[in-house]
Amino acid sequence: MAATDNNRDANQRGASGQKLSFSNRWRAYKSHHRTTLRTSFNKMLHEPLQTILTVMVIAIALTLPAALYLTVDNVQQLGSNFESSAQITVFVQQGAKTKAIQDLESQLTTMPAVASVDYISAKQALLEFKALSGFGSALRYLEDNPLPAIFLVQPRVEGEIDLAETTKVVEAIGALSVVDDVQIDMAWLQRLHSLTEMGHKLVLALGITLGIGVLLVIGNTIRLAIESRRDEIIVVKLVGGTNAYVRRPFLYTGFLLGLLGALIASIMLFSCLLWMSSSIENLASLYQSQYRIEGLGVAGFFTLMLLGAVFGLGGAWIAVSRHLRDIEPK
Amino acid sequence: MIQFDNLSKRYPGGFEALRNVSFKMDAGEMAFLTGHSGAGKSTLLKLLMLMERPTSGNLLINGKNLNRLSNSQIPMYRRQVGVVFQNHQLLLDRSVFDNVALPLQVTGYPASEVGRRVRAALDGVGLLDKEQQNPMALSGGEQQRVGIARAVVHKPRILLADEPTGNLDPELSTEIMALFRRFQSVGVTVLIATHDISLINRMQLRIMRLEDGELTDDGGGYGGY
Repeated sequence: MAATDNNRDANQRGASGQKLSFSNRWRAYKSHHRTTLRTSFNKMLHEPLQTILTVMVIAIALTLPAALYLTVDNVQQLGSNFESSAQITVFVQQGAKTKAIQDLESQLTTMPAVASVDYISAKQALLEFKALSGFGSALRYLEDNPLPAIFLVQPRVEGEIDLAETTKVVEAIGALSVVDDVQIDMAWLQRLHSLTEMGHKLVLALGITLGIGVLLVIGNTIRLAIESRRDEIIVVKLVGGTNAYVRRPFLYTGFLLGLLGALIASIMLFSCLLWMSSSIENLASLYQSQYRIEGLGVAGFFTLMLLGAVFGLGGAWIAVSRHLRDIEPK
Repeated sequence: MIQFDNLSKRYPGGFEALRNVSFKMDAGEMAFLTGHSGAGKSTLLKLLMLMERPTSGNLLINGKNLNRLSNSQIPMYRRQVGVVFQNHQLLLDRSVFDNVALPLQVTGYPASEVGRRVRAALDGVGLLDKEQQNPMALSGGEQQRVGIARAVVHKPRILLADEPTGNLDPELSTEIMALFRRFQSVGVTVLIATHDISLINRMQLRIMRLEDGELTDDGGGYGGY
């Protein structure tokens, strides 16, 4: 009898759950993650209305800043197409000596910030004006050629145009002798630059605001999920479930909601672009431009998905850390 | 295995649920905890589950002082304890099998092992054929037995039961007590809180009686054992 008892005792101890090998634990841990992911997904499918509402709110909140970002991005690209044409026009003083003009030309070409220099003499300018303006006959009444000789200076532009640098070049040219005036058609570029800068800030502000919205929406959904599974949480805690174990399904739910929201947002952006692209191509062809609208792209898609997942996890984490602590077996 | 050392528990409202309670239970011992409702039975069990912490005094399990366990160590401790609740606390959104499997899943047992052990536990309470049913479809006695299967599936060293026969007829109560006896015989320390006098009288077991938070009687049974 004593022997049997001992055997039983040994059995009891051998099986007493405390001696699971690490690899077993790791496998069970992984399989628990898989099951949790699956059950979280199934639970979402069981409450389709709540899930769809949450996902749509997230999708819209992600689509708005993403769409604005794409718009700003495209406008900026449009601008960079024209930036290479940032031409400086140098007006030569009336009656400047040929020697002085030649000196000026060599001075201009040797400037490091200058890419190329074109000289248009007063005579050439007049001929061009006659040919293009249609006022040719009126010019006959003028005794002198009223047009000055000009240099068309192309500044060296590498990548983005540097407005401050270009302004310096303009000032340097203006200080040279026999230069009457220097003009650069950059005002609109400057405006475009500040517009896109403003656009970027708007994207950021909108993104932050709507990001907080996404956090709150996911947080609220998770809070409801926690509330509806209160009994389960209590029992799991009573049988020795760790906080991480209790947290996991809710974190997965938040993660999935965020990911789905981002997916829907990508689809909405894509369809929107598809819808608009034909009219944009029409517009571009009217301007004889090869301009094509830029979509989200692969990198953009993954960034959006990552953002969705991070926001989803974050919102769930906030809700879980605020509400799970209150649920203790009593 | 279980040692209460001059332990008191006072709730925030000022109510003193337990006063200077001291007793010992050896491994493999089985005892009743009795007393009127409000005498402190539930509080004592809650302390053993670390659902509450003592106000003063020590509670030692296997020589280890539970006061020294941090909150993050509580889950590990609870895995050594099985609890049978009066209201069985089964989850109605899953099958009997999944209810019983919960303590094993929480601990991280591989699925094959979970299946084997859950079936063994259900077999032990005579409910192997009901594993795929929802607990709602079972009778009160069957639900209580599922609760017992869940309490023992991870082979705990301590088994606590709070009014396990509360709503059951005498026949079922006897059946359930026989189950507890079986666990005791394999070395589990069993503590049963109950005020079912007839049940207590039928079994020759150690009885601890609580009155207004004080342990007034600790020894043999009623009726002159």
